[in-house]
Amino acid sequence: MKEILIGKLSKQALPHEWFTIGGSVAFLALALLIIIVITRKKRWKWLWNDWLTSVDPKKIGIMYFIVGGFMLIRGGLDAIMIWLQQALGASNVPGLTGEAAHGYLSADHFQQIFTAHGNIMVFFVAMAFVFGLINYIVPLQIGARDLASPFMNTLGFWLFVGGVLMVNMFFLLGGEYAATGWLAVAPLSEKAFSPGVGVDYWIWSLQISGIGTTLGAINFIMTILKMRAPGMTLLKMPLFTWGSLCSMLMAVTIFPLLTATLFLLFFDRYLGTHFFTIMGGGNQMMYTNLIWMWGHPEVYVLILPAFGVFSEVVSVFSRKAIASYKSAVLGMIGVSSLALSVWLHHFFTMGASANVNAFFGLMTMLIAIPTSVLVFNWIATMYKGRIRFDTPMLWFLGFVAVFAMGGISGVMLAVPPIDFQLHNSLFLVAHFHSTVIGGVLFGIFCALAYWFPKLTGIKLNERIGRKAFWFWIVGFCMSFIPMYLLGLMGATRRLDHYDSSTGWQPLFILMFIGGLVIATGAVLQLAQILASFIQKKKLYDRTGGDPWDGRSLEWSTASPPQFYNFTSIPIVTSRDAYLQMKLKGLTKPKFEDIHVPKNTAAGIYISIFGFLIGFAFVWEIVWLAVASVIGIIVVFIVRGFDEHSEYTISSHEVQNLEQERTKKDMPLFSKNNNDTDEEMGVWDLTKYLAFFFSDIIRKKLWHKW
Amino acid sequence: MVENNKNNLHIDHEAAATDRAMFGFWIYLMTDLLMFAVLFAVYSVLFKSTQGGPGGSELFSLRLALTETLILLTSSFTVGLAMIAARRFNKSQVLFWFGVTFALGVAFLSIELKEFAELIHEGHTLKINAFLSSFFILVGTHGLHITFGLLWMSTTLAYVIKRGLNSQLVRKLAMLSLFWHFLDIVWIFIFTIVYLKAFV
Amino acid sequence: MSAVGHEVKQSEHSTTRSYVIGFILSLIFTFIPYKLVVNKTVTGTALLISILVFALLQMFVQITFFLHLGRGPKPRWNLYFFYSTVGIILIVVGGSIMITNNLHYNMMPSDQTKKLLNDENIYQIGGGRTGVCQAQHENHRVNISDGLVSPLYITAQKCDTLTFINNDEKYLEISFGLHPEHDAYAGENDIIVRSGKSKTITLSESGSFRFHNHLQPETAGYFTVKEP
Repeated sequence: MKEILIGKLSKQALPHEWFTIGGSVAFLALALLIIIVITRKKRWKWLWNDWLTSVDPKKIGIMYFIVGGFMLIRGGLDAIMIWLQQALGASNVPGLTGEAAHGYLSADHFQQIFTAHGNIMVFFVAMAFVFGLINYIVPLQIGARDLASPFMNTLGFWLFVGGVLMVNMFFLLGGEYAATGWLAVAPLSEKAFSPGVGVDYWIWSLQISGIGTTLGAINFIMTILKMRAPGMTLLKMPLFTWGSLCSMLMAVTIFPLLTATLFLLFFDRYLGTHFFTIMGGGNQMMYTNLIWMWGHPEVYVLILPAFGVFSEVVSVFSRKAIASYKSAVLGMIGVSSLALSVWLHHFFTMGASANVNAFFGLMTMLIAIPTSVLVFNWIATMYKGRIRFDTPMLWFLGFVAVFAMGGISGVMLAVPPIDFQLHNSLFLVAHFHSTVIGGVLFGIFCALAYWFPKLTGIKLNERIGRKAFWFWIVGFCMSFIPMYLLGLMGATRRLDHYDSSTGWQPLFILMFIGGLVIATGAVLQLAQILASFIQKKKLYDRTGGDPWDGRSLEWSTASPPQFYNFTSIPIVTSRDAYLQMKLKGLTKPKFEDIHVPKNTAAGIYISIFGFLIGFAFVWEIVWLAVASVIGIIVVFIVRGFDEHSEYTISSHEVQNLEQERTKKDMPLFSKNNNDTDEEMGVWDLTKYLAFFFSDIIRKKLWHKW
Repeated sequence: MVENNKNNLHIDHEAAATDRAMFGFWIYLMTDLLMFAVLFAVYSVLFKSTQGGPGGSELFSLRLALTETLILLTSSFTVGLAMIAARRFNKSQVLFWFGVTFALGVAFLSIELKEFAELIHEGHTLKINAFLSSFFILVGTHGLHITFGLLWMSTTLAYVIKRGLNSQLVRKLAMLSLFWHFLDIVWIFIFTIVYLKAFV
Repeated sequence: MSAVGHEVKQSEHSTTRSYVIGFILSLIFTFIPYKLVVNKTVTGTALLISILVFALLQMFVQITFFLHLGRGPKPRWNLYFFYSTVGIILIVVGGSIMITNNLHYNMMPSDQTKKLLNDENIYQIGGGRTGVCQAQHENHRVNISDGLVSPLYITAQKCDTLTFINNDEKYLEISFGLHPEHDAYAGENDIIVRSGKSKTITLSESGSFRFHNHLQPETAGYFTVKEP
């Protein structure tokens, strides 16, 4: 009876390890804090109506950033735990805890940590930030008011949140995550070798968010191909939009492959099929084959929007058009096309013949060509430009250095004989971190620094921002250059301990310190945001939406833009559309009727049911799975046949809204606003916070007595 | 005059929205096709792994498969006729032809379920070997899609009866007919690669 | 005001005629491969290719006559998406089949290697290729018990096989040449034969040779391999 009701759930599933208790307490405390704050400020209605059920891609974009930011902290903590374990993991150092033979983590726990780290960083940080950026910026750049399907947008976001919830669920119930590496290769991920719920949580967190990603990708493609402003042909689009288009075309191609493969693994574990099992005729290499058919193009999905960001930033901060627009576009298309023909390089060592290995090695090396076309394009753009070294430009330059290192090590690994030596060594780990951190993460930071004034109306604090950048890049080099060396010395990846006679420990310690430097950089970034809000009046963007003298259409809107983006859809006649509009003299704002999609909670409801389906499958609670499937169908039917999902605001109302906004922003535009104060530095911020908190404490104590 | 303009704007807006929706649905169908591609790839690699047990030539009935194929093909034809009626807002014809399609779909599913039931009854379940696993999952996934299609069809027709045919419902029926045609195309390949190939 | 009452513009191509043509052609392209398989008019790879071709033809028929793809106004995004999807499906399915075949060929378990060797007339001894041999002619058996070799002398033709059968208590370590210098025979040396078991080698080198048990060198035998 109990089994029918709650499946495999039992008291054993409740947290009883130090990390599951710690993690649960942390999450619950955070949730409680948020709930208390919102309740006290009576903001539940506002939260629900203005944010959670919103279909405005700008709001959804910011929500992606917030969730992605939290997951970045979680993934970063995982990374620090890994660094620390490896720094302590020399064989002559005794284990620090009861269950750890070396370092302070048991082998099984360590495996779960690096698995979670990989999954979180790729799916729930990088994809989150990329989707957030595309959501916010692309409609503004192409002169659209919204995405093609606002409902699919909110649905995709909430499915993503469902995945985030699922990947963190094991803290509360289950106590274990997958210990198989971030791609859970069979047969280790089969029931016979991973009998616990960890791999099931892995499957369903990726499955739920993966479906969200596919829907989002379809949406973005529809938008870019069908909703551009009149006159904006494909070859007049900004390069960030191009990067997003190529990225989403790849995403829509490969995520179905992941969905199918995850289902097959799920069937093996749940229904007893023999796709990848050892007995019964399964083919384990087929799993590796299929998962890498997804996995390789995925990294290009992540990097192409970053390439787009850099193209824009380099152009604006060198005050020059991109050196060769067409070759930049060809470069992006080239990378996307080749990305689908290289996946075997992830398993060169698995016994394919020399000819097969050679083919894939060749194709992999070829990808360096369109990538270089892009890099040289950017450098040529800088040449004879009037360069400004604001923070976005610094991030771009950091990217060039780090990503080049990663790219070159990648081309080395593309050579099968070299790969036979370096496969699954720390050299490989250093390679992909160089490209992902140097490319994707720096791209995200660059984008946030560049577009922060558009999102909030405030320029970011440059002083702290610069410090943050230098901490990041110095920390990165301290952490990952030794990793290349260790790889060449023979250290494999995923090591939780090693023989002290190898002499590796000093390098691992150096890597850990580098990790702390990176962490400081991250803290400084948070400090930067805080300082910018504190000095809001000083840093307020008084240009009315164009602080960098931008070139593309998003700078023509207010900062932050109104919910309808543009009062009237602009007519585009050339590339760098906004720059042309400025040179020719801006036209007066026109007003027209605007169709606005209504908010909807359907995305939230469907995702709740989606989460419950995954949860039900993890714990084998059949009735819950069936009920949730029915629930999803019902919500779809109700939403699908709802014929009143839009409302119209007349041009008259738009005019009023614009006037109200201008009136509201007026005070911030005036000049008497302490703008003779210097920008805050780190020490200033610390003093400010110290006074702020001591003030609160003093008031509270005073009030009490 | 202004009214007319507003009306035109509205129609343009609707036409653009319909165009986008059909295009988006088409892309979704492509992703569904890719998922089937994985299942076909897996079947092609694993169909020989019978672990000494009977293979397709011993377990399948070509006659049955042909029957299923003809039923589904006819239903794809009738759904096309249904859409011609839908675009003419001919409610009774729509109900008739979609009704026929629905009946054919149900017939297809019943034959397929019977085939599955017989195999399982004889002990050839998807747990036995990789060949049976990939057969059941590939053909079963197609059957699941047909089931969803039938559910979609019945719900939409219910709304058609209740609200009458309007352009929103015609758009939904258009997407459904795309879905149905696409399922027949996938079935062509199942018929060829699973059933016919077993007897080559 | 919605567009109720207006006839939605029928795509000029979406006529009853096109559906009927598509239906008839699809029927034809269904029956032909069916008949081919049932009557076994063609066999083997030719049949496989034929049925796949007919499947593709029927797909194109349905794409054109049922789905009207590629007949709408430009830009024909639907068509481009369809073609790229077909290309990717070829990569996914074709790539998977080619790669798994390649991996299987290079990495298959040893009990299946024997069949491959027989099929391809490759005789491998000790992992090394010794050259292509014609199909084996005769198998010669050597019994070793109580430290005695029987028969002591063996005459064989090139590409015959020689089986060492161990009827002793202890395992044998068959080496070639004189002890302790040892020569290898056709790349083979130190063949372990467990008690009660046997091992077979292919006689792919011609000449006169001596073998002995490395653990008990007095146990020795001779074999002569003649050219065919």
